[in-house]
Amino acid sequence: MRTVTANDGRILARIIHLAHRFGCTYTSVASEQLGAAYRMEFAFAGPGDALRRLDAQITKLLDDDRETME
Amino acid sequence: MRTGAAIVLDTLESLGVETVFGYPGGAIMPLYDALYDHRITHVLVRHEAAAVFAASGFARSTGRPGVCIATSGPGATNLITGIVDAQMDNVPVIALTGQVRTTVMGTDAFQEVDVAAITHQVTKRNIVVRSIDQIEPALRAAFRLATGERPGPVLVDLPTDVLRAFEEEQRQATVTQASPVRECPRADAQSLDAAVAALQGAKRPLLIIGGGARWSGATEVFRALAAHIGAPVASTLHGLGCADPGDPAFLGMVGMHGWKRANLAVANADVIFALGMRFDDRVTGDPTKFAPNAHTIVHADIDKAEFNKVVRAQITLHGDLRETLAALDHRLARVTLPSFEEWCNAACAREEQLPRDDTRHDHLSATDFLDALFAALPQDAIVATDVGQHQMWAAQRVRASHPQHFLTSGGLGSMGFGLPAAIGAQIAHPGRMVVAVVGDGGFQMSMAELATLRRHELPVKIILLDNRNLGMVRQWQELFYSGRYSATALPDNPEFTTIARAYGIESRLVDNANAIDAAIARMLESPGPMLLHCACFPHENVWPIIPSGKSVDDLMEALPA
Repeated sequence: MRTVTANDGRILARIIHLAHRFGCTYTSVASEQLGAAYRMEFAFAGPGDALRRLDAQITKLLDDDRETME
Repeated sequence: MRTGAAIVLDTLESLGVETVFGYPGGAIMPLYDALYDHRITHVLVRHEAAAVFAASGFARSTGRPGVCIATSGPGATNLITGIVDAQMDNVPVIALTGQVRTTVMGTDAFQEVDVAAITHQVTKRNIVVRSIDQIEPALRAAFRLATGERPGPVLVDLPTDVLRAFEEEQRQATVTQASPVRECPRADAQSLDAAVAALQGAKRPLLIIGGGARWSGATEVFRALAAHIGAPVASTLHGLGCADPGDPAFLGMVGMHGWKRANLAVANADVIFALGMRFDDRVTGDPTKFAPNAHTIVHADIDKAEFNKVVRAQITLHGDLRETLAALDHRLARVTLPSFEEWCNAACAREEQLPRDDTRHDHLSATDFLDALFAALPQDAIVATDVGQHQMWAAQRVRASHPQHFLTSGGLGSMGFGLPAAIGAQIAHPGRMVVAVVGDGGFQMSMAELATLRRHELPVKIILLDNRNLGMVRQWQELFYSGRYSATALPDNPEFTTIARAYGIESRLVDNANAIDAAIARMLESPGPMLLHCACFPHENVWPIIPSGKSVDDLMEALPA
């Protein structure tokens, strides 16, 4: 289970699409709004290499998400 | 009191934008109204796909963001291929799309499409602007994102009511602040030391330079490093121009249609420095057989997610490539490296000539033409290619002295890219020779942009290598599909010289080898746009080829006997 915070709530959808692209599935997904941001929890199942790639892509998406309009 | 549209243009101008490429339509009309008397120059293309490719050509040839504009609905969806293309090749493109009024969004209004959802997976970010006070911060964030670390496309969706709104009422409480600049990662000292140690222990090192060098501005520091090390150098498609094409240690392009000597060097190297590259399948072939004798691969890249994605690296250098290479060079100056001269000479001496088909005497050879073209072009000429056989022939032969001199759609392989990319490059470099090398298939996907050349008096030279076939697909059908030529013959191609003339573009037909030099000389002298229609031998193939998913052991240099 990985817990993250993002400014753009749509990232969750992007992560799920990526997971399926990499041949993984999600086993658990939850999200809630925290002020102007979103707290997300998710867990994925799949081949080890794909999960590692997915994790790296999620980190990259979250890095870009820190670039806000404020 | 400005409108939202005026704020868009003023913000673009403050970000250094002088030219935008676009096509008007309903929802984006307020922005076009503001463009009517704004200092920013608008280049009207004839299809939105050309707008995004032209913005890409501008960005690829300058390193600065290219901006394209389209209306909502079909205008926005026509941008998608170019946006994906920019994502695959890490090109900082800003796409501005019109959108229906915020009050009707979600009601299937006329020309409404959720372009944000469509482009979510293929942009670094997209932003739907919902109020006038968001315009400036959204655009500034878009530029920071598009150009930051590993560049890429950002789309900003602009509802028509936001563009028409006046700032006075809504901006009073808004304070625009720049978000903190993200610190660019730097390769850590331990990994740099390990990379130096790997080089000290190497017997057959190879440097492979990739497209990351283009975006980090690492060309000069790479050349200095390569000279310091004295190892052979190879390049990916997007790395072409980083290495000095006249350097005897430069082996040329690696991969599917790379030079045999470059691929053999990959196979024989014991230490590989993969610099700003992502181990694309067109480079690696079968990744399990890539670099079989390399005990150490050092991978340097700005994007941590690239490490160990395709090929396992023993040492990773995470950071801006220019800084990484400078730090490496600094460390190398303090140590003694073994001589790699013997290995370098052996690697470079192999196979000086590219294999080629023996075309019939009465036909023009496309490769003959390109050899003559690249020998004649000025050193600072910019070459944009389309996609297909001509692209690979050009990549094998081009003598680009800088990566911004060779523009090609590598990752996505988008036909129709060549001419609009050349338009973008010519806008960015009005005094330079810009050449579009295109095939008859791809050219017909963007042929209407001849009108853009004429309208803006852009002296782009078009080399149309017409073999009356979708040549690359045909070649694969010949090699891998038992010669079943399904939907690849184009015997009914139009008379291209007549079409060019209809658009007011000078054109010449070249149909035999004896006419090549005079045609190129005439083209180089021509002050305006010109199309050379090269009627080529229809069955010339690209050699060598490593079939998809195979290794250098399977390299083919001619048709099987």
